[in-house]
This record gives sequence, C-alpha cells and structure tokens, in this order.
Amino acid sequence: MIFDGLTFLGESLFGYRATAAELLARMDEAGIDRAVVCPVRPRGYHLGPANEHVADAVREHPERLVGFARVDPNFGEAAVGEAYSALGQLGLSGLFLHPWEETFRVSAQLVDPVVEVARQRHVPVIVAAGYPWLSEGLQLGELARRFPEVTFIATNGGQINISGLGQTDVELALAANANLLVQTAGVYREDFLEGVAARFGAERLVFASAFPLMDPRLELRRVQWAHFDEAAKAAILGGTLAKLLSR
Amino acid sequence: MKARLLSRSVTIERMILDAHLHVDDIPALGWKMEAELCVRRMDEAGIDVGIAMTITDWPEVNPDSLELVAEACAAYPGRLWAFARIHPWYGDRAVDALERALTGYGGCYRGLKLHPVTTLDHPAGKDTLRLIRKAAEHGAPTLFHCGDEPLTTPLAIAKAAEACPEATIILGHMGGYFHADEAIETAERFPNLVLETSAMPYPDRIRKAVERLGPERVIYGSDGPVCSPRIEVEKVRLAGLPEEAERLVLGENARRLIDQVR
Repeated sequence: MIFDGLTFLGESLFGYRATAAELLARMDEAGIDRAVVCPVRPRGYHLGPANEHVADAVREHPERLVGFARVDPNFGEAAVGEAYSALGQLGLSGLFLHPWEETFRVSAQLVDPVVEVARQRHVPVIVAAGYPWLSEGLQLGELARRFPEVTFIATNGGQINISGLGQTDVELALAANANLLVQTAGVYREDFLEGVAARFGAERLVFASAFPLMDPRLELRRVQWAHFDEAAKAAILGGTLAKLLSR
Repeated sequence: MKARLLSRSVTIERMILDAHLHVDDIPALGWKMEAELCVRRMDEAGIDVGIAMTITDWPEVNPDSLELVAEACAAYPGRLWAFARIHPWYGDRAVDALERALTGYGGCYRGLKLHPVTTLDHPAGKDTLRLIRKAAEHGAPTLFHCGDEPLTTPLAIAKAAEACPEATIILGHMGGYFHADEAIETAERFPNLVLETSAMPYPDRIRKAVERLGPERVIYGSDGPVCSPRIEVEKVRLAGLPEEAERLVLGENARRLIDQVR
C-alpha cells in the first residue's frame, strides 16, 4: 500500500491548484493508494472554507483521502477554535501548519495553542518545513521539544537548500526529538534520506509527493530507487503513516 | 588538439552526458564521493559520460583537488571528464591554475566550476570575472552553482554573463527550489546562459525552459553520485520533451560544450 503523506486541494492564492478529480487521477497514474490531503491558502484568504472543502472531498472518497486541517496561529483563539472544529465536526485527522505562506516562525510560542489542540486530540501535525528563517531544522526541533507527545512531520526533509546546508540542523533535530519525522518530497539529496533511515530508522521517513507543487511520479521514484532495503521502503512508502493515523 | 568526444557519438546514437558529478572526500561533513561510485551510479542510470568536479576549492581547502579529479578521469578514460573548481581570490595563482588545468592533466579538464557560497566572491566580482574570461579564452564553459542562496541567484550570475558575453555560463541547478522561473526569465535576456537541470525537483520547469529558450540551452546534470543520477534522468524524461529535444538535453548539448574546448 502506497500512502502519500502530502497533497493539496483547492485553488491557492499563490497560483497552484488541484481538484479532487485531478488529485485522484494523478494518484492513479502514479499507483498511489491513499493520500493525506491539505488545504491550500485559498484565494478567498480564509482557511475555514478551505478546511470544509477538504472535508467534503474526504467524505466523497474515504478510502483514498485522509484530510488535515490547516490553521494559522497568527489568528490566536480563532485558530484554536478552527482546529477544534476541523478535528471535531469536520472529522479531519491532523493539523497542517504552513509558516511560509502564513508567515510565522514555527518555534514561536504563538504556535503553541494550536499544537496544544493536536496534543489533546492525539493527532499529528504536518509542518511545511525548510523555509528560511521560519521553519528550519532546529526551529522544528524546538517546537518538537516543547511537545514531546505530539508527532510532527516535516515536509521537504525539513530542509530546502540545494547546497545541503540545512542537513546538519535537521539531523540534530531528529537526534534530539524522537517525535519528529521528515517527508521525502523534493529532498536534496538521496543520500540524506538514506542517512536518516540508517541513523534514525526508516520509520522517521514518510513518502510524500507534495502534489501539485511536485510530480508524484518523480517523488515516488525518489523513494523506490533510493538504496533502502525492502522493509525500509515499505515503511517509508506507507507503513509508518498508516500506523500513525490508525491510532 | 585534444581528443574529441565527438568520435564517441559516431557509435552512440543517443548518448547521455551527466554535466554535474562530484568527486571529493570531506570528512568534516561525512561526504565521500569516489569516482567508482560515480561510475556505478552512471551505469545504473545508463549514462555514458560524466563531468566530475570537487566540492572543495583549489587551493583552499584542498590544494590537491585538481590532481584528485584528474586521477578519477584517468581511472575511467572516456567515462569521466572534469571541471576545475578554483577559488578566485588567489589572483594570478588562480588564473595560472586554471590555465594549467585546461592545457594539462591529459586534457581531462573541460570547464570551470564556481560555487560562490564557498568562495564568497560575487559572480561579478573582478577576480571571478578574470577566471571566467580565462576559461572563455579556451572555449571552456563556466558552471555556477545557481540556487536560492545569496551570491548564487540567477540575477547575480547574470551580472557575470553581462560582463563576459564571450563566455558560456551554465546555471547549475537552474535556480534551485525558488529561482527556477527566474533562471528561465534571466536566460531569455542573456543568450550566453545555459540551464543545467540537477537537483531542482520540477520536471515541468525543464519543459518550460526548453519551450522558452529552445532545446539547445538546457543540459542534463545530476549533482551525483549522492543525488541519484537515475532519478535525475527520470526527471528529464518526465518533462515530456519531444524526442529530439530530449536527446539534446540529455547529452548532445553538453557534449558540444565540452568538445569545443581548445
């Protein structure tokens, strides 16, 4: 079973877009069975309707899609209310934070109230990671340190740097926080992924395509053609995420 | 006159040339990239020829870096060629080292590699321009690391392209994660810029680059062996280029660039 740890649904203010039909078609083309789907920041600017849009898609395709709720900690109590509502009434399965598109530092304490909701509801938090100044490796580590009961899943391997300059900070964050996992989409480089599996265990890696920002066919190959053993590959491609979301 | 790779293309209809491979040993980072691994990864990906370069600069931090890559090329004749990575701040010594590389070492050196994050010299700094011009005297291209960091963005490197219109300048990684569109737009303005595809994760940007710049100005590279050359070839294939364009991007364009070195 191949379980994609990150896709997006809706029309983003920042120009990327996908409908549920397009998402399912790309999953079928790539051979992906299930996917976590997150809202984009919509052109209407408000995340509430975007969370409802994702919940609708999940209701229509419960076997294929698992929805996460996107909240903006800058909104304080309103964001906390949105998190409770999305995880309760809407039935979504985790929280998604995007420090770059919403503009907040992920290690800042203003993030804590929404993460506290995830802690109470026993759901994971996906963080759009590796963005300079806002969600770099050690900043993720700092958030993970404050909430050891919450599982954090960092996108982009936790580092977006095509010189590899962010890798050491992510490795330090992984070493210090057993509750931090990283996704595989777009990661520089394959030996970084192989090193994470060797040093921290394959269960710290989660396959993700980041569709429509990235190409699911290529991102699947990034894991399938990396030099993991078969058990590690199975965990990364879906085993770990399925276990995490079944809790 | 140096041996021409062209002779190889007589027997290989569709060659794949990886324009960006690394051979180096950096214990501080735990990065070990041996020629043998490069060739093994090339074989996995069906790559015929690769261009290797160090990650460290000559003479700091590796005064033996030119010999290191030349030895790798000598161990795999016809499979590996080289770009010389040289720190521009060494003035006449740096220029002499490049001249020595491009005229010696059995003819393996076919270009200059610069990574301004390690040299801290702006792409349009006077010392860097001296090296680019020296390379151009030999018809050799200059490959820049072109990503998202300061000193490496497409617009910064375009200042060098503007100052050295006689030089062919390759934007390695074609702008990285956030500057791929800017790399394409910049290359539209400066005809001496060529885009190299390694590591940036978007097949559709390769297609866009070919459509906007023409198929002759995009070349395949992997940043291997630790970025997977096989996955990087697949990225080019997923761009869905017309057959002739894909052939040019995967090998012919880069072969032409290194064949013209004199």
